[in-house]
Amino acid sequence: MHNARRSPRPTRRTVLGVIGAFSVAGVAACSAPGPAATGAADSTPTAVSTSIGTQPVTLKLYDGQGLKTLDDALIAAFTKKYPSVTITPTYDPDNVTTQNQPRQLASASPPDLVRVISVTSGTKNNLLTNLDAYGAAYGWDQIPASQLAQFRAKDGVAGSGSLFAKASGFTMTGLYYNKKLAQQVGMTTPPASVDELTTLMGKAKAAGLTGMVVANKEGGGVFPYQLLLNTSMGPDKVSQWVFNAQGATINNPESVAAATQVDTWNKAGLFPQAVNALDANAADALFASNKGLFFPWGNWDAANLDKTMPGQVGFFPMPPTTSGGKVAAMSDAATAFGIPTKSTNKDAAAAFLNFLSSDEARQIAVDNGFMPTGLPSQAAPTIKSGSVLADVTKAFATVSGDNGQVPFVQNATAGISNQAWTPESQLLLAGKSTPEQFVANVQAKYEDELKR
Amino acid sequence: MSTVDGLTAPVDVADEISTASRRRLVRRRGGAGRSSLGSGARWAGWLFALPALVMYAVFELYPIITAVQYSFFDWDGVSAATPAGLKNYTRVFTEPQLLASIIHAFILIIFFTFLPVLLALVVASIVREIKSKALGATARTMMFLPQIIPGAASAIAWTWMYSPNGAVNQMLGALGLSSLQRAWLGDFTWALPAVGIIGTWLATGLCTLLLMAGIGKIDTSLYEAASLDGANRIQQFRAITLPGLRQEIGVCITITIIAALASFDVVFMSTQGGPGYSTQVPGVQVYQLAFTENRIGQSSALAVVLSLIVLAVILPIQRFFREK
Repeated sequence: MHNARRSPRPTRRTVLGVIGAFSVAGVAACSAPGPAATGAADSTPTAVSTSIGTQPVTLKLYDGQGLKTLDDALIAAFTKKYPSVTITPTYDPDNVTTQNQPRQLASASPPDLVRVISVTSGTKNNLLTNLDAYGAAYGWDQIPASQLAQFRAKDGVAGSGSLFAKASGFTMTGLYYNKKLAQQVGMTTPPASVDELTTLMGKAKAAGLTGMVVANKEGGGVFPYQLLLNTSMGPDKVSQWVFNAQGATINNPESVAAATQVDTWNKAGLFPQAVNALDANAADALFASNKGLFFPWGNWDAANLDKTMPGQVGFFPMPPTTSGGKVAAMSDAATAFGIPTKSTNKDAAAAFLNFLSSDEARQIAVDNGFMPTGLPSQAAPTIKSGSVLADVTKAFATVSGDNGQVPFVQNATAGISNQAWTPESQLLLAGKSTPEQFVANVQAKYEDELKR
Repeated sequence: MSTVDGLTAPVDVADEISTASRRRLVRRRGGAGRSSLGSGARWAGWLFALPALVMYAVFELYPIITAVQYSFFDWDGVSAATPAGLKNYTRVFTEPQLLASIIHAFILIIFFTFLPVLLALVVASIVREIKSKALGATARTMMFLPQIIPGAASAIAWTWMYSPNGAVNQMLGALGLSSLQRAWLGDFTWALPAVGIIGTWLATGLCTLLLMAGIGKIDTSLYEAASLDGANRIQQFRAITLPGLRQEIGVCITITIIAALASFDVVFMSTQGGPGYSTQVPGVQVYQLAFTENRIGQSSALAVVLSLIVLAVILPIQRFFREK
């Protein structure tokens, strides 16, 4: 029939069109996208001042939606103290900040205060102001080194060098526990070693409870692994790995040991049965239902737990491998604020950074559930006694004292959380990979992304 | 057999229409060349198309061209790009996880295309028989409802239904099938089919609506003649409904295959590619590579490959359903 003869024509035309489009694109491919590779402007300010003057200044601030309450309180307190300064904040959903922050930094008129997610990518393109001069002028060098190390960078490696950001407060991770269930399994003091912890979880299981509430749909299974890794490998080596130091690796016996411990707990039935299908909300619900003894999570849940289970929850840092050892925890900035190189109000922005470690700001941080930044000699913020937040803050002091603040392994590279930690931990907890494969695969992704 | 005779009728009509319109087209074309209308009329046509062409060029062609351009570079989206040659493309075909994601997309065709088209055929033939206007309208609305809910929203609703204590497991428990209860989206074997079912639910409504519209066009006298000749429902379906719906089925299959191969929202909102890599699809990979990993070049290369795969699958299908 005649239709048959007619039909190939549009198809052939489509094919020609596609070929045409791609050949046009092929020509376009000769020119490179992005700015020309020229020596970028110097990010070190020439003259710094700790005075913000009396002229009205408007600062733009960019952060994630989850930090809005904290930031709004800090902004209110700061602008009350410095009436000539106005701060207009912009908040993006937290998961979107990861994608938008590099573009915010690179824009022609960036915000004056911006959430810094990766110090190294900010410094690589000279998009962040070198804060060393402000640090010297304001005396930030008095602040404990471990509080600022995460925001230093040198030659594309974070952890040491010049300062590029300052925190509004810190997060803190460890183990929440259900006080009533703890009593039931005979726990009077927090376990002093990993073995004691395992024994308590075994007793919980025998009583028909979940030993440890782990939710791995979004990669929460990495939490118990890193809590163990922090002490087995040591805070310094874990930090170096996250900071992409040359030759850093987690493919070593200490890391395999941490993964093996997680695997053993899981295979012993100490985690929830549907661990790979539970998300953070489901984990919260399970813990709140009084069916889980321990819950490896962080300070961000403290206010919620104080509300839903008042007086029933305690918190302690992950115990060391052997009793009496040093403790460590994942703890990074609530928000690390940096000043984009192209900002025109650097002095006023630096005054805000300085304000972040003032007594007033420390109280605001604690009121919002974060650990305060600043000098050990400063007055301790007041916390409601008996609240789980008081426990978390106490644990933070212990970890700080042991110099055990470690950044999250999920932040080592931009893609490692989505592309390696989450799927690989799901494979491990489903029994589809071994602890050795787990650490080797993550290390391979890490090296691939860093092009090593 | 009169059923077979009847079958040729709509095709004849279609042929007649297309022959007539083609004749008209030829006449008009010939006329324009010779008459006094001249080239002005020809440009007027382009003028009318101009707004659409501009939109098409800016929002379709330009992004496609830039994506192809980016795919030959190593670029983080901010700083200077370095030429990468074909490296980004070779990685698409050598990285096992990128390759696996393409295979998952093809598996999703079963759930996004075959099941919805089959279900829609059954539903459309049944709804055709509903004599009550109100009932028919209700049935149509019910079937189309999933289509007006955004994919992302329905993925969230399905995530709750699939959760360990969710509706799916509760129903299995109520039916005495508690041995089948599992954490659907956390199960390495069942996560991909579970995600696929969400797609089935979404696509069935659209296919049903299209097929019902198609059935409406089929001459009812054909069914009457067939039943007079003693053809039962299944014979009527095979001899009248199915051939009469050839074009509509073609449209359904085309749309849903594109939806399966380029799936993003359902997978992103329900599993993000997990557990492990078991539900990873190219659409989500393109997004993650570009916006979480800042590997614009690699992301563009995968997107270009994905587009070519879609074209390679769709063009023969288009051809098959147009040929008669």
